[in-house]
Amino acid sequence: MDTDKTLILCVDDEELPLALRKLVLELQGYEVITACSVPDAMLALVDQNVDLVLTDQVMPGGTGTELAHAIKKRWPDMPVILISGINEIPPDTMYADLFISKVEGPAAMCAKVSAILSAARFSLG
Amino acid sequence: MNETRQVNILMVDDQPAKLLSYEAILANLDANLIKARSGREGLELLLKHDVAVVLLDVSMPEINGFEMADMMRQHPRFQKTAILFISAVRMSDLDRIKGYQSGAVDYISVPVVPDVLRAKVSVFVELHRKTRELENLNRELETRVEQRTRQLQESENLLRERADLLELASEAILVRDLAGVLTYWNAGAEALYGWDRNEVLGKPVHEILGTEFPVGSTSSESTLINRGRWDGNLVQRTRDGRELIVASRQVFKREAGSILEINRDITSQIRAEEALRQTERLAAMGRVAGIIAHEINNPLEAITNAFYLLRNHPSLDEEARYYAQLGEVELARVGHITKQTLGFYRESQHPVNVPIGEIIDDVLQLQGRQLLLNRISLDKRYLTYGEIRGFPVELRQVFLNLISNAIQAMPNGGTLRIRMGPRWNEGSGRTDLCISVCDTGLGIRPEHAKHLFEPFFTTKSLKGTGLGLWISKGIIQKYDGTISFRSLIYNGRHMTLFRVILPGINPVLKDLEYSRPTIGEETARAPFGH
Repeated sequence: MDTDKTLILCVDDEELPLALRKLVLELQGYEVITACSVPDAMLALVDQNVDLVLTDQVMPGGTGTELAHAIKKRWPDMPVILISGINEIPPDTMYADLFISKVEGPAAMCAKVSAILSAARFSLG
Repeated sequence: MNETRQVNILMVDDQPAKLLSYEAILANLDANLIKARSGREGLELLLKHDVAVVLLDVSMPEINGFEMADMMRQHPRFQKTAILFISAVRMSDLDRIKGYQSGAVDYISVPVVPDVLRAKVSVFVELHRKTRELENLNRELETRVEQRTRQLQESENLLRERADLLELASEAILVRDLAGVLTYWNAGAEALYGWDRNEVLGKPVHEILGTEFPVGSTSSESTLINRGRWDGNLVQRTRDGRELIVASRQVFKREAGSILEINRDITSQIRAEEALRQTERLAAMGRVAGIIAHEINNPLEAITNAFYLLRNHPSLDEEARYYAQLGEVELARVGHITKQTLGFYRESQHPVNVPIGEIIDDVLQLQGRQLLLNRISLDKRYLTYGEIRGFPVELRQVFLNLISNAIQAMPNGGTLRIRMGPRWNEGSGRTDLCISVCDTGLGIRPEHAKHLFEPFFTTKSLKGTGLGLWISKGIIQKYDGTISFRSLIYNGRHMTLFRVILPGINPVLKDLEYSRPTIGEETARAPFGH
C-alpha cells in the first residue's frame, strides 16, 4: 500500500453506489477501501490506518450516525462525513463532522472531503 | 255532615210542663231538642249550638221572649236564626211580631195546636237544612274553584319554567310554520345568529339564515312533513354574513302546523376536524416525501457518479464527452427537483447571516430573461439590507417561488413591485423584516384563496407542482415568520400581493441552530457553507 496516499473508508449497504463512489474518490487520487455495514467498518478501522470515513446514513443494522458515534468514542480525531439520500438532517448528526446530501453531486462531495481532510491535518499540525 | 241531618231546635219556656209538651209534639221531627228554662239559659245554649229554630215563649220572667229576640238580632250570628214565638193572642204582641220584618219569624198562639206547631217548626227546620246544604255546596264550590286556580297556577308556573329553560339553552331554538314564518326565537338563536327576536319574528326563516340544505330544501322539508322529524347538518349565515355549520333537529307538529327546530353550532368542531385531517395529510405527505426522496436520491447519486466518471474517462472523444455532459446537466435537474419538492434540504448545518436583499437580487438576475420576455417592468425598493440569520438555500427558495409565481401571473406584461423594509412589531418589541412581492397579473380567485398554501394546489394546471407556496410557508414558519397574501384592485387592475414577515432583523432562531459537535469541534469545523 502506498503510504503517501490518503486512505478513505467508504461505507454503504448498497453495492453499486458504493463502488461508483469509490471510483469517483479514486479519480481524485485517494486510496479507498469499502465496508457494507457498521461492524465491517469498525473492523476495517482497526485493521488499517484510515484518514477519513465517508458513510451512508440509512443502513440496516446500524445507521451512519451510530457509526460516527462509535468511531468518535475510540478515535476522537477521525473525521467522519455522513452522506445521505434523505433530505432531512438526522437529529444525532452532531457526532459527524459534516452531513452532505447525495444530490449535491460528485464534485461537491470531493470538495467537501478535501476540505474536511485539510482542516483535520491543520489542527493536528 | 251531621249538622245537616240532625238539626237543633231550642225551646225556651219558663214552664217545664210546656217544654215537655213541646218535646212530645216535636219528637218525631228527627231533630235534637234543647230545652231552656229562661231567656238567659236560652242565650247561653244558643252560643254553644248551631240552632235551626228557636221556640220562644213570649211571656217569661226576667228576660221575656221579645227581649231575647232583640238580643239575638244584635248578634250577627243569630240575625237570621228562625224564631217561632209562642204567645197568647194579644194585639200588641202580634204587632210587635210583625215588626220583625227581616229574618224568619213566625208565631203560634196559645193554646198550641200540635199539628200547627209541628208544621211551622218543620218549615223552619227544612229551611235551615236547605240553607246549610246550600252553604255546604257553596263551600265545596269555593274549594273546587280554589283547587282549580291552584292547578292553573301550577301549570302556568311549569310553562313559565319551561319557557325560561328554552331561553337558557345555548342552542338556537325556533318555531316556524309550514311557510317558514318564525313564531318563536330564543336567546340562543339571538346569540348564534346575531338577530334580535323582534327583527325576525313573522319573517321566513330561510331568508333570514340563508340556509343551504344538503339535499335541497324541498326534499328535506318533505321528509320532515312525511315522517314528522328531520335531523341533519345545515349551512347557515349569521347576521354579519359569517358561515355557520349547525346540527339541526326538526320536529313537525301536525295538529298545530308548526315546525320546532333546534340548531347547535358545530362550525368550530367541523373546522377542527378538518384541520386535524389536514395536519394528518401533511404529516403523511411529509413521510412519503422523505421516503421518495431517499429512494430517488440513492440511485440518482449512483447515476450521477457514473456520468461523472464517464465524462472524465480518458478514452472518451469530444462528442461522447459532450453527451455525458448533457446527461449530467439533466441529472442535476432531477437532483434540484427532489431537493425543492421532497423535504427541506439544507446545505449547511449552522445558520449564517443571510442578506435577503442579495438573495432577491440573485433570484431577479436568474429570472431576468423571463422578465424581459414577458415585458415586465421591475419596481424595486429596499429600505434595509435585510440581514437574517438562517439558511440561504431555503430562503432563496421562498423568494424564487414568490417571484416566479408573480412572473408567471403576468404573461402579457405588467409591473413586478418588490419592497423590503424594517417593521416595528409592537407585540414582540423587535423590528421585523417585511418583504412584499406584488404583481399586476391575473389575480387570485376568492375560492382559490383559502387553498393557496395547501400542498398540491396549483392554478397552473400541469405546469406547477402545487408545492411551491406550501414549502415556502413551511420555511417561513420555521423562522417564526408569516406569509400572507392580499388580492386587491387598484386603478382597475388586479394586484396580488404576497407579504413575508421575518421576525427580528437579528432574530433568535427557533429549532434552527443544531447542537454543535462536542467532539472534534476545533479540529474539523467545516469551513464551508458560510
